[in-house]
Order: sequence, then C-alpha cells, then structure tokens
Amino acid sequence: MAEWTMQEALNAALADCLADDDRTLILGEDVGRNGGVFRVTAGLQERFGEQRVFDTPLAEAGILGTAVGLCMHGFRPIAEMQFDGFTFPAFNQLAAHVSKLRTRSGGALNLPLTLRVPSYGAIRSPEHHSESIETFCAHLPSIKVVSPSTPSEAYALLRAAVADPDPVVFLEPKSRYWSREERVAGDDLVGAGARQSGADADAERGDGYASRIVRSGSDVTLIAWGACVQRCVQAAAFAAEDGVEVEVLDLRWLKPLDVDGLVASVARTRRAVVVHEAPVTLGLGAEVAALLGERLFGTLAAPVGRVGAPDMPYPVAALEDEYLPSPDRILLAIQRTFDAVAA
Amino acid sequence: MSTIESPPVTATSELLSLYAQMRRTRALNDEAIALQRQGALTGFPPCTGQEAAQVGSAAALDPAVDFAFPTYRELGAMLTLGITPLALMAPHRGLSFGGAFDAREAHVAPINAVVGGTALHAVGWAMGAKLDGEEACALTYFGDGASSQGEVHEAMNFAAIFELPVVFLCQSNGWAISTPTERQVGGGSVAARAAGYGLPGEQVDGNDVLAVRDATARAVHRARCGGGATVIEAFTYRLGPHSTSDDPSRYRDRAEEEAWESRDPIDRAREQLRGSLDDAEDHFARIEHEITLELDAVRAGLGLLQAPTMREQMELAYARMPAATRAANAAWLQDGIDG
Amino acid sequence: MASHTFTLPDLGEGLVEATVLEWLVAVGDGVERNAPLVEVETTKASTELPSPAGGTVLELHAAEGETVAVGAPLFTLEIAAESGIVGTVPAEAPPTRRVRLRPPAAR
Ligand SMILES: Cc1ncc(C[n+]2csc(CCOP(=O)(O)OP(=O)(O)O)c2C)c(N)n1
Ligand SMILES: [Mg+2]
Repeated sequence: MAEWTMQEALNAALADCLADDDRTLILGEDVGRNGGVFRVTAGLQERFGEQRVFDTPLAEAGILGTAVGLCMHGFRPIAEMQFDGFTFPAFNQLAAHVSKLRTRSGGALNLPLTLRVPSYGAIRSPEHHSESIETFCAHLPSIKVVSPSTPSEAYALLRAAVADPDPVVFLEPKSRYWSREERVAGDDLVGAGARQSGADADAERGDGYASRIVRSGSDVTLIAWGACVQRCVQAAAFAAEDGVEVEVLDLRWLKPLDVDGLVASVARTRRAVVVHEAPVTLGLGAEVAALLGERLFGTLAAPVGRVGAPDMPYPVAALEDEYLPSPDRILLAIQRTFDAVAA
Repeated sequence: MSTIESPPVTATSELLSLYAQMRRTRALNDEAIALQRQGALTGFPPCTGQEAAQVGSAAALDPAVDFAFPTYRELGAMLTLGITPLALMAPHRGLSFGGAFDAREAHVAPINAVVGGTALHAVGWAMGAKLDGEEACALTYFGDGASSQGEVHEAMNFAAIFELPVVFLCQSNGWAISTPTERQVGGGSVAARAAGYGLPGEQVDGNDVLAVRDATARAVHRARCGGGATVIEAFTYRLGPHSTSDDPSRYRDRAEEEAWESRDPIDRAREQLRGSLDDAEDHFARIEHEITLELDAVRAGLGLLQAPTMREQMELAYARMPAATRAANAAWLQDGIDG
Repeated sequence: MASHTFTLPDLGEGLVEATVLEWLVAVGDGVERNAPLVEVETTKASTELPSPAGGTVLELHAAEGETVAVGAPLFTLEIAAESGIVGTVPAEAPPTRRVRLRPPAAR
C-alpha cells in the first residue's frame, strides 16, 4: 500500500496492536461486525475473534467503566466512543475514576486504556457529532490526550497511545478520515510511537511526547493539532504568497504539552497564533498562550493570538464553514501579531 | 379523579385516519431518503416499518395537555402530533437542530440525538405537571439500544418513586445500528424491567397500529388519572438502514428483512380496511392524491428554507446574553467580515 | 427544456468519493423523478442514487468501476421543468482568501 487514508492507517495500527499483544481488546458500539461507523475497526473482529473485538450494549459509561475494570485485570482495552458528543455519558467514569484510580490505589493500579473518539466537525453532521472535547479531557489529571493530523501520524500515535501505561484519549479528526497520503516509512512505523513519526531532531529532545514542525518559517508560528493542522498549512501557503514565512507546529500531544518544542519554535519566530475548532473561551489556546507568555515574556513581539469559536454551541451544518477557522481568520490573527505595539 | 374517559377506540374511521397518517409518514420518509441520495439533505434516519408504533402511540396523546419527547427517528410520531413536514426536514438540510417548530407550543420536545437523553426530561416534565395538579402525561420515545443507558433506568426509577405520569415507549425495532436487540437487552425484555420498579409493563405488537394505540391510550389514561408510569415495549422492525450513511447488508441477513417486509404495518392496516370498508379503494386513492400534493409542496418549500445567520444562531445561546459575550461575538463576526 | 449536470453528493458523513458499480440507465433513456439511475459504492455502503428530476439522460460522466470525487459531475439530464430540484451539493470549493498580509517592514 503506497498510499493510505487515515481510516486505513488507524485500522492498520489497531490490527498491529492486537497482533502484537494478546492482552489488547477492542470494545465499543458497532465496532465488531460493522467495523465502526467510520470503518476504523473494519475486519478486526473477523481476524481476531469476538473475544477480542466486541460490541457492547449502547452505554458509554458502561464501555469506559468496563475498560477500567479490564485494566484492573491486566488487559489493555481500546474503547471507542462512536462520536465526540457521546463521550459525555462516560464523563463520570473519566473524571471520577480514570483520572483518579491510580492515585486512589497508591500506584498499585495502572490504567493502560485508550479511548478513541472521532472528533471535531466539518462533515455536515447533526447535533452532537462535531464536538471538540480536548480541553475537557486534558484538564483531568492522569489522563494523556493526543490527536493526529495525517494518516502516518495517526498510525504512529495510535501505537504510542496503546503502548502507553497511562490512559490516553485519542481524538481522531473525522474530517480527515478519508484524506490520503503517501505511506511514511512503511512497516518501520510499527512500535515506534511518537518518536518516529515526525521531525527526529525535535523528538530526540523529550520523552516521546513531542510536537512536530510541519513547515518551517521565521515570521510566526501557527500552533494546531488534529484537523486544524491542515487549515494552518493552507493559511501558511497563502501567507507565503505575501512573503510571510509561517512555521506550522503540530502539537500532537495536548497532554502533556511539548513545552520545549513550543518554546523553541516561538523563540525563533517571536510570534504565535493558536488555532482550534473549540470555543476560544478556556480552550487549549488559553493554556498555550499562558505558557508562552510565562516562558517568552521578553521575547514575544506580540500577544499570542487565538483563532477559535465563539461562546455558542457548534452550529447547524449550514453555518459550519463560517464557524470553523478559515484561512482568512488565521491570516487576520497573524496580521494582528505584526501590528501589535506595546502600550 | 379524572374526568377523562378511557378511550378504547377501534372504529374503522379511526383506523382509516391512522392509516392515512402512516402512509403520509412512509411517503415523506421515502422522499427524504431520495433527497439525501440526491444531495439535497445531509442525512436522514428512516423510520420505515415503524409507522404503526409511532403513529399509533402519538395518536393516543393530546398535544394540548400532554408532552412528547421524540428521538431522531420519530417522523411518524411528530407528524401525528401536528409538526409540519418542512419543520421536520429542516434539520436534515443542516438548517436546524431540533426541528423548525416551537417546542413549547407544540408540546413536543426538539428532535434529540443523544440516545436515552430525554427519558429524564420526561420525568421532570411529569413532575412539574403533577406539582401543578394537571391531568397530563409525558411520553418519552426510546429504542431498544437506548434501554441500555443508565439514564433510562434512572428515569424509570424516578418515575416510580415519585409516582409520575410518564409513558416510557420503547420501540424495540430489532437493531441499534448493527447491534441486534438480543445483544442489547439483558433478559430479553424492556417491559419486564418495569416489574422491578413496581411499574406496569406491557408488550405490544408494534406493527398493529390499533394495538399500539390502545395500549398507549390505557397508559396515558392511567398516568393522567394519577396511576403513575407505564413501560410499553412495542415490537417492530427497522426495515431501512440506521441512517442514510449506514449499510445493513454488513451486519444482517436479507432473509430477516424480507420476513419483516411481509409484516409491513401499512399493508396490514390496508388489508383490515379493505375488509371493513366497501369504498376502501376510493379512500386510498384520495389519501395518495393528498400525499402527492403535500410532497410537491415539501419539495418546493425545501428549496426555499433559509439558513439562520450566525448572529441568529449566537443569540440562541443565552436567554440573557452577558455583555462580555455579546462584545466577543461582535468582534468575532467583524473578523468574519474583515477576513 | 434545459440540460442540468448533477454532481456526486456526499453520501454519508464526510465521505470524499464513491465508485460507480453499475449504471441502471443509458444515454437517451427517459427517466422519472426518483427512478434509480446508478448504483455506487462508498467506504460505508453501496447505494442506488435516484434521479433528482424527470427527463432524458444526456451524458454519463463516469464509467462503471470508476471512482468519482464528491462534487464531480456524475450525469447530465435534459429536464422538462426546473421544478422539483431542491438543490444538489455544491462542489467542494478550493480554499480561498481575501486577507492580504502586510508584514512588518523591519524584521
Ligand atoms: C449517547 C449516544 N451514544 C451513541 C449514539 C450513536 N447512535 C445513534 S443511534 C444509535 C443506535 C440507537 O439504537 P436504538 O436506541 O435501538 O434506536 P434506533 O436507532 O433503533 O431507533 C447509536 C449507537 C448516540 N446518538 N447517542
Ligand atoms: Mg433500535
């Protein structure tokens, strides 16, 4: 397979996880025979059997709570929420148990579970099918959060998430499921985790939870993850037409944040704009802006810009193009970093 | 004591009007599927095969006093409760979430896609009705899949503890997307669970429109008279895909579908009517003619439906919009103009 | 009479393409509104697409087995009356921009 889609890459990652470790299980709604509503688990029940890939009753608290118990019995469950908006019924399990059980048990119980969530908008869905839940999850202690932006990234990051000894929320950009890309590094990606899937020099730096530079530039850093990375790449191409060199940084991991990577990039460009689909108010952009302010107060040429949604529910499909971060909104935010003058 | 009479209605004229409503539902349903395949709707969850369960149950309600809580698949119930076809198509064209109608006025809650999400709302509405001394009941629709949600259990328990006027109407339609009812409902029956809460539970042939109507009418009557909640499990079958982006051939046999096609609730009512009405064919022709006219109007109207503006949609977020939010919204909209 | 080219709609939740399995009509055929025109397959489902209007088939834009992008032309009909077309999915527009950047003079 010279090219693959993100859906195929995720499917391959899951297959390799199941093949490599027979303690790995997949559970969720319609993940078995149907292969998931986005076909991410297609063929896995056929190949690995109904013991290892199985449909649950329609109950998200049930799915996640059961995954917790499976961890306590030494399994490595990969649970699927059918859509972002249906994670909320499981939120009590996430906040009250997944986030606390290791500490509650004095470190006796690890929770190596992965919670896969088709995420974000842009596919003309009905209500509840376009939510950005990253901040809710990343705000919870003991939970890691990651969101891939390309097929090969998706493969590597899902392998890393499943291999991680801690609970990882894995946010899949559903508008990118069918995006195609040359398959990176072929089978070498297996087991490599985050380290292999991006700029190696950057990855060397930390403990594997590294961001990656998608495109280098000297004038401003655009910071994004998941589906918004592509939006930033597009905006960067437009900016280049105006002679502006934009660096695009794909965070990948939203918890832990790659603080060193962020600081290294913005120390070079002195300007940064965070782009996300979620509301600006208390969105992850606020955390990134605060960190950069703390680390680079004297270096920054402008306040860190934020492009995101207003304080309203995700709108009806007819308005979603207007609601989502457009190239023009990103360019405007970049311009503001050029125009800023200290008071 | 209630002044409302228990209404065991099985007159032919009533069956004819239920039949007309079922045919209308099927026709609009099929048109919506076609419109989705033609790119005019973004998606649609068909209710093919469930018309008797929906129309029969909704017909037992009085939307002047009662309040219904639909899921996303309740086209037939909502039409029966007086919601217009265009109001129901607007969400599937990406123009509305809950449907383009006034939920307070209609006594029908907005279309809801969170499975199991409204059962507790029905409980709360019923509690309010009881506190206000009204003779009214709340009816919540849910599926066999939804019966797995903790909130649905909580709702039944609350309704039992507070002796509330609620009808829990489960359409057990064989499937929750690709998961069959037998892999969903432990113990095999949602109605049987009622006993555990001390509530009456009733199973009914969900493809028999009069049976559904009568069972629901009994439950509504009991609720309005202070007799508390009832769980009804209407056995039916989702003849179509879960939604227009689903492919049932991945997970179920054509033979099963064919068996249920032969038990089509509309065919059944039609045969009953043929047996009891001399001029049945004339009625059928009139009904089809009216449906054709209505569908023409729906198609024409659909193209004219306007999308809300972003500003309008923003205004919906708060009853009292904070000034800071209003200012941030204005700036955000201005960026859209500048950008 | 007017000829109208219909494009492939997104058949389900963000799909980007579909493969033509079988044409159920040929050029020159008359079709009724909602009559099946073509069977297509996506990653999610295989589906018959019904004709959006009554008319005559003028052109089929893809061969059987061919993969068509969402928004690309699929078939052209000669249509008796424009009525009844409630719109097809607009072709996925390439990203556009209006804002021009004015980078700071001294860098
Ligand atoms: C809380 C929640 N989880 C998952 C979904 C996705 N989903 C939508 S419908 C559905 C199946 C529902 O089955 P059932 O309750 O039997 O109703 P039916 O679709 O058969 O009418 C699922 C899993 C959802 N909408 N809400
Ligand atoms: Mg069901």
